[in-house]
Amino acid sequence: MYKLFLTLRYLRKRRIAYFAIAAVLLCTAMVLIVMSVMGGFLDQLKFKARGLLGDIIVDNKSYSGFPLYEEFIADIAQWPEIQIATPVLYSFGLLRFQDTAQTHTVRVVGVRLEEVYEVNAFKHGLYYEKYYPGTTTLAEQQQPVIGVDLNAEPIELKDNKGEVIGRGARPLLPPPYEAALQKSWAAGVRDDETPPTEWTEICRDANIPIIVGEHEVDPLHPPALTGDPWPGLIIGRDIIAKRLADGTYKRYSMYPRGCIVTLTMIPTTGGGSVDTPIKQPFRYADDSRTGIYEIDSQHVYCDFALLQKLLHMDQAERVDPESGAVVGTVPARCSQIQIKIHESVGGRPVNVKAVAQRLQEHYLSYATNPRFKLSIGDTQLVEYVEAMTWEESQSHIIAPVEKERQLVTILFAIISLVAAVLVLCILYMIVLQKTRDIGIIKAIGGSSGGVALIFISYGAAVGIVGSTLGTVLGYYFVRYINPFQDWLTRVNPAWQVWDRSVYSFDEIPHTVRGHDMIAVIVAAIAASTLGSLLAAWRAGAMQPVEALRHE
Amino acid sequence: MSSSLLVAQGVQKTYVMGRVQLRVLRGCDLRVAPGEFVAIMGKSGSGKSTLLHILGALDVPQAGQVLFHDEPVFAPPGRRRFATSALDVLYGYERRRIRYRRFAFGFVFQFYHLLPELNVLENVLLARMVGASTFVWSRQRARARADTLAVLGHMGLAERLRHRPAELSGGERQRVAIARALVHKPQILFADEPTGNLDAAAGAELMSLIKGLHAEGQTIVMVTHDPTVAGQADRILRLEEGQLRQV
Ligand SMILES: Nc1ncnc2c1ncn2[C@@H]1O[C@H](COP(=O)(O)OP(=O)(O)OP(=O)(O)O)[C@@H](O)[C@H]1O
Ligand SMILES: [Mg+2]
Repeated sequence: MYKLFLTLRYLRKRRIAYFAIAAVLLCTAMVLIVMSVMGGFLDQLKFKARGLLGDIIVDNKSYSGFPLYEEFIADIAQWPEIQIATPVLYSFGLLRFQDTAQTHTVRVVGVRLEEVYEVNAFKHGLYYEKYYPGTTTLAEQQQPVIGVDLNAEPIELKDNKGEVIGRGARPLLPPPYEAALQKSWAAGVRDDETPPTEWTEICRDANIPIIVGEHEVDPLHPPALTGDPWPGLIIGRDIIAKRLADGTYKRYSMYPRGCIVTLTMIPTTGGGSVDTPIKQPFRYADDSRTGIYEIDSQHVYCDFALLQKLLHMDQAERVDPESGAVVGTVPARCSQIQIKIHESVGGRPVNVKAVAQRLQEHYLSYATNPRFKLSIGDTQLVEYVEAMTWEESQSHIIAPVEKERQLVTILFAIISLVAAVLVLCILYMIVLQKTRDIGIIKAIGGSSGGVALIFISYGAAVGIVGSTLGTVLGYYFVRYINPFQDWLTRVNPAWQVWDRSVYSFDEIPHTVRGHDMIAVIVAAIAASTLGSLLAAWRAGAMQPVEALRHE
Repeated sequence: MSSSLLVAQGVQKTYVMGRVQLRVLRGCDLRVAPGEFVAIMGKSGSGKSTLLHILGALDVPQAGQVLFHDEPVFAPPGRRRFATSALDVLYGYERRRIRYRRFAFGFVFQFYHLLPELNVLENVLLARMVGASTFVWSRQRARARADTLAVLGHMGLAERLRHRPAELSGGERQRVAIARALVHKPQILFADEPTGNLDAAAGAELMSLIKGLHAEGQTIVMVTHDPTVAGQADRILRLEEGQLRQV
């Protein structure tokens, strides 16, 4: 009983204990912050990779791609584990916005949009599709131009004080777009990811659904679809819009929806050599954000079949170069197959790794399958195909981060030993200072164990108080780490710690996981209790008379 | 003779400091009967405090034995080296000595020795707490508090309960120390020069308190170098050249 009583008393009366608590506090906060940020980084990396790719990826890592994907997809569609599989093409190109000198080198991705929607989370990253559901397409399309509804009641135009300054015709989108907007508006979908513009203000004041995004406007005519039809292109958001400090994106009126962009690409021939460059106009159909900066600043997406044709990777006649006679067919090729599998079949969870293994075996069997008359070159392309789970395909990114996180956590834990040593020093000091008191306690009947326990519980109390406060500090620091970094950057741009182009994500991970908190608290309490052992031992081993004679 | 409460037989204590051996106690014999008031006198540095610490089970002699109720307080000389080994602490003589300190002996030190962080009440109460486990304490608490208040009242400190030792005079501090020594109703009260740091008036006041305790039947062993103080005891012993002599 007296142990607890004295522990609490010493904790309150010894100002020096606050230093020990502060040390434990800082170390706990530090370790928690590091664990949370690195752990969150890793989680996001995994989550985003999966959202980007699907469960299993079949790939041969060759710019020339690989053939027989259609046959493969048709075969595995029979497998019960397979939900859907879709081919993807990758290429490089030069992107140019019409009427500007802006060019970007981009990675061109050919996708079957409807299938990709199912395989991964691509759809959730689209902008216009969210507010105009069903209008984003990679097929040929014209530009939607906002016009005016000459039959409807004019709407009031207000200035920024809310005063009515005039009346104007009601703005209106071309029918399919207007219908889609009405639909999402009715469903309660509101744009909170774009800063408000003049348009949004006008719509809000007039109490009509807010027109989202940038559009061509013709205030004198009814809405229309204008211009030559060109295939649609989905553009990485960081290419076409500017990210603001608060994480929202600002789009430009010079890049309205449906504006013309041109892609210049260099196809390779079947033999792998470079062909003459091709140039293809597209219309800006939508923009996509995956949250991974490298992708959002470099990828554009167009229709799979179109890209295949442009790159000469579609099925073609095989011509004998000497005689000029047709000697067979060159099979169509793709760069990758993304596959989504069912989580369970017949109530049993699916082993993704095993499925990947079987997929690979199945594909490799094509190389020797007499059903396909493959040329030597095509056989080689088939033989290099691999099927990987999304984790394996990203392991070159994930594994180092995982190791890094372990390393940094261990390093910081070692640094935290400093806190334990500090607790040791401070407690040892208190024991020395309190030698006479220890003698008194022993003289009136305190046992060695009891006296030792006073200091052990003192250490534990320092650990409990310090780690609790430290966890609170760490938690709030991580929670508000992004505003904090923004503020730092505003004070001095050189203090920007988190660079999107370096760390892929535009935000510092800011979630603290419960088990991390518990682990850190337990470790801190254990460390400070451990730190108190030596002092406790010394206090317990003191002889009452010697302690009493101590000056 | 079974009428003795405390018996010391040939107690020896030697301090070794490097080459120098200081033979402070060279075979002290003493018998204290129940209810007796014994005073020990001697020059400064003659070893009075050392002897009292050994009698009060605070220190361990190299040779000789102390019997309390005919029960040895120290291990047989051959094992004394291990006097404070872990086993001894758990089961042996050290455990027994802790029990004596908690329940049988009360000790008043030459220099008060109060805990500066605790107030008067807590300082005294602590002597009761030390002997009780959490469970026992939860049941004894009220009684311990009542006993403490009674003892402090007896010492004339009822008004000073919340004061810290630093806020008290020397005489008051010494009375707190006596209260602490008495709060568990010890069978023997050891007092090491209780009046040594007090002026004549405070000393006389304290002595009348001690006399009162003695009159109530308290066994007292007191060290002093003041003849008038010693004169109040039933019996005076003199510590000279490491041995006790009857005066
Ligand atoms: N731990 C120790 N180590 C070495 N010498 C000691 C130790 N304790 C006491 N002494 C010595 O033993 C002798 C007796 O000390 P003690 O305190 O018992 O004397 P005392 O009779 O109580 O003196 P005083 O009247 O001044 O209180 C002194 O000379 C002291 O220096
Ligand atoms: Mg002395």
